[in-house]
Amino acid sequence: MVKYVGLRILATIPLLFAVALISFLIAVAMEASGSIAGQVCGDGATPECIAAVEEELGVNDPLPSRFASWFGDVLRGDIGASLLDSNVSVSGIIGDRIWPSLSIVSFSLVFGVTLGMAMGVVAAIRPGGLLDRTMSVIAGATVAAPGFIIGMLLSWGIAVELGWLNPVGYVPLGESFTGWLKSITLPGIALGLPTVAIVQRQLRSSMANALQSRYVLAARARGVSRPALIGRHALPNAMVPTVTVIGFRAAAAIGLTTAVEIVFGIRGMGEMLVTSIVQRNVTVLQGGMLVVGVVVAGVNLAVDISYGFLNPKVRLDK
Amino acid sequence: MSAASSTSETPRRRFWRRLLRNPLGVFALLWFAMMAVAWLWPELLASHDPFKQDVTLQRLYEGPSGDHWLGTDGFGRDFFSRVIFGAGHAFRAILIAMTIAVGIGVPLGLFSGWRGGRTDRAIMWVNDVFFSLPIILLAMAVIIVLSPSQTNAMIGVGIAMSTRFTRLTRAVTLGEKEELYVDAARITGLSTTTILTRYISPNLLPSLIIQAALMSGAIILIGATLSFLGIGASLDDPDWGVMLSRSRVVFRQEGVWQIIPPGLALVVTVLSFNLLGDAIRDAMGRDASNNSLTVTKRTAVAPATAAHAEGDDVVLSVRDMDVEFPGQGGQVSQILQGVSLDVRAGETLGVVGESGSGKSMTMLSALGLTPAPGRMTRGNVRFDGRDVTSLTEKEWQRIRGKDVGVIFQEPIAVLNPAIRVGRQIMEPLMIHMGMNKADARARAGELLAEVRVPDPIRRLDQYPHEFSGGMAQRVGIAMALACEPKLLIADEPSTALDVTVQGQILDLMAEVQQRRNMAIILITHDLGVIAEAADRVLVMYGGQVVETATAGDVFYRPRHPYSRALLDTMPQSHDGHGELPVIRGMVPSATAWPAGCRFAPRCAFATDECADMAPELEVAEGTLVRCVRHHEIQLVPSGGNV
Repeated sequence: MVKYVGLRILATIPLLFAVALISFLIAVAMEASGSIAGQVCGDGATPECIAAVEEELGVNDPLPSRFASWFGDVLRGDIGASLLDSNVSVSGIIGDRIWPSLSIVSFSLVFGVTLGMAMGVVAAIRPGGLLDRTMSVIAGATVAAPGFIIGMLLSWGIAVELGWLNPVGYVPLGESFTGWLKSITLPGIALGLPTVAIVQRQLRSSMANALQSRYVLAARARGVSRPALIGRHALPNAMVPTVTVIGFRAAAAIGLTTAVEIVFGIRGMGEMLVTSIVQRNVTVLQGGMLVVGVVVAGVNLAVDISYGFLNPKVRLDK
Repeated sequence: MSAASSTSETPRRRFWRRLLRNPLGVFALLWFAMMAVAWLWPELLASHDPFKQDVTLQRLYEGPSGDHWLGTDGFGRDFFSRVIFGAGHAFRAILIAMTIAVGIGVPLGLFSGWRGGRTDRAIMWVNDVFFSLPIILLAMAVIIVLSPSQTNAMIGVGIAMSTRFTRLTRAVTLGEKEELYVDAARITGLSTTTILTRYISPNLLPSLIIQAALMSGAIILIGATLSFLGIGASLDDPDWGVMLSRSRVVFRQEGVWQIIPPGLALVVTVLSFNLLGDAIRDAMGRDASNNSLTVTKRTAVAPATAAHAEGDDVVLSVRDMDVEFPGQGGQVSQILQGVSLDVRAGETLGVVGESGSGKSMTMLSALGLTPAPGRMTRGNVRFDGRDVTSLTEKEWQRIRGKDVGVIFQEPIAVLNPAIRVGRQIMEPLMIHMGMNKADARARAGELLAEVRVPDPIRRLDQYPHEFSGGMAQRVGIAMALACEPKLLIADEPSTALDVTVQGQILDLMAEVQQRRNMAIILITHDLGVIAEAADRVLVMYGGQVVETATAGDVFYRPRHPYSRALLDTMPQSHDGHGELPVIRGMVPSATAWPAGCRFAPRCAFATDECADMAPELEVAEGTLVRCVRHHEIQLVPSGGNV
């Protein structure tokens, strides 16, 4: 298992490299249209200013050597300064913005996976029953609803009308644990409800396959009880495709949290990315992409490692 | 729907009939029809100019009224009209993104799958990197380079989504490439382009349509999110995402209604795409897993007419068992018809027949394990003197594994890949013998040693994939014998194994049988195995018993033409010259049994009478045989030296 995990970690390196390359090429593409220098020099940009900035950016150097020096900086943890204010480092901005986003995404995943799995197993216990059919309808509708609409409804219903939680704002974990948990509950649920539906549907269908397998038939022929068939025999095998889907959903949630944060007035990665796009602040967007790339690589790694636990075949050593 | 009309109908018509009979699919189609009208002729539906502002105070954030059916927004603009005009925006978004996604993804997938090898690996590696990144983020990268607008946002979404189409297309192409008709086309010298467009693309189309429907929903969702973020459609456009971003600012003060019209239009549209995708998949008959989960309801079983065999030593006695499966369009296929059998302690009953003759189904149904949605509709099963025909699953659990052990074919497939082998052997011991973990583990080790698995203790901690077929089958035997059952049912226990291992497995079973006076039912299509191990033989064909006799009678004096035909296919009965005979034709499917004798179409002795009249089992000199001509035909095998 140790060897397996090690190899999986090595396998994430190409993904990180590719993300770095994409980030780099975004800046190159923008320079090619002259928009970066124009941005830095402002409205009354003189040709001298533009030439000076382009010289500083190294626009005229060959691409491979520019990528090498930029990538070298990135590896040392230096992802540059904001294009609009060279005193503000991008890593500083991201350091402020990443925690709310990570908190909301993590909450949504814990919420979505726990509830989705519970509902998927319940659906598999009495397939075609009233509970199963009701859940199928709810899941179908939830999958179609974007998190930001669910978020607005929750913010209005739970926070404004019922007054149970604050409709906007984020409390850092360092300040108060309960405050933090309360502030991410509604955004987390808004982002997590579609996850519940996705996990529930996948688990229901892979449980159906597992329960029809030869090994479950054989276990029945040994007198194994139905709860054990579902929990011990079918579930671990049904989890393999479900974990894949959870990984896809985690990556999607990292993108979709942007809109949910904005609904709840939380200054996270979402607002940072949108502002950087509107201001064409390419260094901040680059930094954001790199960080998201690292998080996605982490998610992929977690998925791969759980394959190792669920499916003994993929483990290399014993 | 009658059988005649469903066979004469073209696949296209059947597809549309099925799609239009699905209420959810019809709902989706109606919604899209409405959206299409709203897109092409919005003025027909809209009651107001969607851009006309009415800034008189009482006109702002109005609820539904006679004039404004869905109320107004913060500029006093009519919500209903703006939602109607939004339909065009939605279609435009799908059109742009889908053109790009399909335009990049499908050719790339075709190329990658067709070329294979290193090119394929390189393309898929790059594709997977993009696939794993959030679509919204990739779209943002495109938007910052091209500047925010709905078109640019959709270009970004299209590029990001192309990875989904590349994956799908490649997978289908890889599969189709191996098909014979593609090989044939290659040999005839058709160009690659022709093969790809004329042969592979048509097979790709169904999966592509389903994928496109589901992806359209995702495009709408992501497009709306980008517009909501203010980096998609421009702020005055009647775009649902933009309308929602306007509502976001004010819904806490002006009320939740501000979210409802554009929100509902968005959700229903996405939902309709999902429903349409599912409906198309169902109509194409591609979804196998969804309904199969349904547990078969317990229903009354008609009693058997024949009496059970008498005697204390009768372990299993089955009488007149019918098993039915619901088929398409309300038809029922009878998988088993009137099956009866007896097996006594210490005796081995061989069950023979080709695949599809009902051997395995007989055993499963006798143990209450008929796979859903099939069910036993008639008959009686007595096990160890007790009527077990209508036992509940709970009652069966106390018998299965304890008094009856089952060895399955495919020894690896019946072991749970996620559970250590030792744990699986311990299961029956802990359930039925009340052993604790330590005792069960010790006993499991002994059992493995008894079935001659080398190094048994180390083997307990291994997983099934670490076992060879032969070793896995020994595990299967150890599990079946763990609780010293009165009856062992062995379904093709040696088929998947090589000849030397086959012999060892059969010897092992015989050894345990002698020691414990156990009854064995041995299912096989290999008469050589029967000759070696069985006392009596049941010959099955087409879900019926066609002959039952002692092993000697079946080999030297077969009475049913099918038994004789089976004997002729044995290598031992062949003189070594010319080709080994095979039984011509195939076992008919359970939906289309011949009206008369089920074997008649393949029988060398069949007359017109055989095709008309269904024969019953008749007593003939101590054996039972289902053949109207059994007394007039001479069936002694050509070789006869078994």
